[in-house]
Amino acid sequence: MKKISPQVWIVVAAGIAVILGALVLAKANPAEAIRTLGTGSFGSMRALSGTLKETTPLLVAGCAVYLALQAGLFNIGVEGQLVMGACTASAVGVKMPTPAGFFVGCAAAMIVGGLWALPAGWIKAYRGGHEVITTIMLNNIAIYLTDALVIGPLKDPAAAYPTTESLSKATRLASAVKANDLQINFALLVGVGIAVGMAIWLKKTKPGYELRATGANATAAKFAGVDTKRVTLSAMVVSGAIGGLAGALMVFAHEFRFYQGFSPGYGFDALGVALLAGSSSFGLLPSALFFGALAKGGTALAALSIPKGITTLTLGVVVLAFAAVRYGRKAKGGGDGA
Amino acid sequence: MALDPVQLAISTVTLSAPLALAAIAGYMSERSGVINIALEGKMLTAAFACFAASTYLGAVGGILVALVVGILFSLLHWYSTQKLKIDPIISGMALNLIAVGATNFGKELLPPDPIADGKTLPLQLFYVLAFAVPFAMMVWSAKTRGGLRLRAVGSDPDKARLVGVNPLSVRFSALIVTGVLTGLAGSLLVTETRNFTDGMTAGRGYIALAALILGGWRPVPALLATILFGFASAVQIQLKGTELAGANIPSGVWSMLPYLVTLIALAGFVGKQRTPGGLGKV
Repeated sequence: MKKISPQVWIVVAAGIAVILGALVLAKANPAEAIRTLGTGSFGSMRALSGTLKETTPLLVAGCAVYLALQAGLFNIGVEGQLVMGACTASAVGVKMPTPAGFFVGCAAAMIVGGLWALPAGWIKAYRGGHEVITTIMLNNIAIYLTDALVIGPLKDPAAAYPTTESLSKATRLASAVKANDLQINFALLVGVGIAVGMAIWLKKTKPGYELRATGANATAAKFAGVDTKRVTLSAMVVSGAIGGLAGALMVFAHEFRFYQGFSPGYGFDALGVALLAGSSSFGLLPSALFFGALAKGGTALAALSIPKGITTLTLGVVVLAFAAVRYGRKAKGGGDGA
Repeated sequence: MALDPVQLAISTVTLSAPLALAAIAGYMSERSGVINIALEGKMLTAAFACFAASTYLGAVGGILVALVVGILFSLLHWYSTQKLKIDPIISGMALNLIAVGATNFGKELLPPDPIADGKTLPLQLFYVLAFAVPFAMMVWSAKTRGGLRLRAVGSDPDKARLVGVNPLSVRFSALIVTGVLTGLAGSLLVTETRNFTDGMTAGRGYIALAALILGGWRPVPALLATILFGFASAVQIQLKGTELAGANIPSGVWSMLPYLVTLIALAGFVGKQRTPGGLGKV
């Protein structure tokens, strides 16, 4: 156990004070707000189903960010990979209204997501341009590109606003649990499977070890014979593929189509999910659930006329406080070009 | 597709000015060794502060509040990276989240009216500053003791310590300047529109950082890179809705242009050799 300095606790206390202070400013009762957040996310079977629905893309996208993070890469581009994947999946799903459409759609989304991350990985590995900048540029390009596609060639001619046609029932992903108000889609189980599989892959296989070695100390890994440039490139591409899958699962499980403004920022929240997960990818499960609950409960706060910015503010404060506690002493060396 | 050269030149100036201010803000921070992806959040908070304060305090009061808020937010970055030793990318991201959340929250509590006439500074002032600051910074960092210390700390904090320069205090001063410049950049955005909208910085902080990298962490080349992005945006605005070779191009395609230019520029021109050696080191 490393010693946590008192000033870290000051940061945590200041963070709590900021959030409570904000609630008081909005003339809300903090206790009531927290209670509303609780009942809005876990208070009933319906609320729980909503929380789990929010959790699914956060978990899968969180896996994408986490994998890149283990290789020492900040994949801020999951948002772009997710919308590219979702757009691809719905285009395939509309063309193939059969159960096979689901599998082909997911595969296509993963390929497109991986390709969307490729330039960032390549520029990082061989050109020394920081992935944070390149992935943010790719996000903007992805959002404008999918907008143009869904306004133009992919638009449902019958719809009044930019959206693709709805998927047929045959391509949709069914609920794994459906009892009264409780609904859990298979997509969540896919997410859990990825998180568990990734934990094993990272710890038990040679490529997983090489990836972690590159992330922990690229110079040492290089001297030990790891082709760190190749690892960087492939980690980014695989991360992008998982990001693309996150978008595809959203389409097949819950949204059934792609439309303008598809993602409310799951790719960015996924960064928080991955950072809070800690040292094992099993940690992604509670972390994604926490973010999912905050997203679902946050909509309930709107009924108390508390601005929605409070949830983003809370996320920022939580990430900062958590990083102060956990990453505080781990000084990262080396200029890497941001 | 006809381009109007005069309009193009004017748009290029107005679009690159906030980027230039933010890029030099990034210069101060990154040359002192603090990776700064929080430029975006700093601009956004300052923009909100300028908007909120101008209505009540007038033009000068508004900008002063924006600068103070910019400085305080920037010092929070100093505290988290230098004192708490949080990874600069993580703390930068957290600060950006806090900025988005806090400004959305604050906006809801304020009357939604735009700033009244006469309660903003003349825009020309910002434009002149934006194009003068990079040259002033070039001279300052090359010719003065302070500039030398800044670059020494950014190149190798340990060697700087050996000769008696304290990296923490140099970075403290550097991040104050970063706060001032992001404060100006944010105020410029609000002065142009007289209003505050959620996420109104629209990725300018990141583009400014990309410009700084493209400029090899040097002020005047960074300015030239921001002008390149400003030009790409200006072309994009004029081409929107026009036909190309008989086909009607959706406006989203043109909107991608500045980001695509950034990406291609990063792929083609960045060399590792110019990265400050101590970037990210504590």
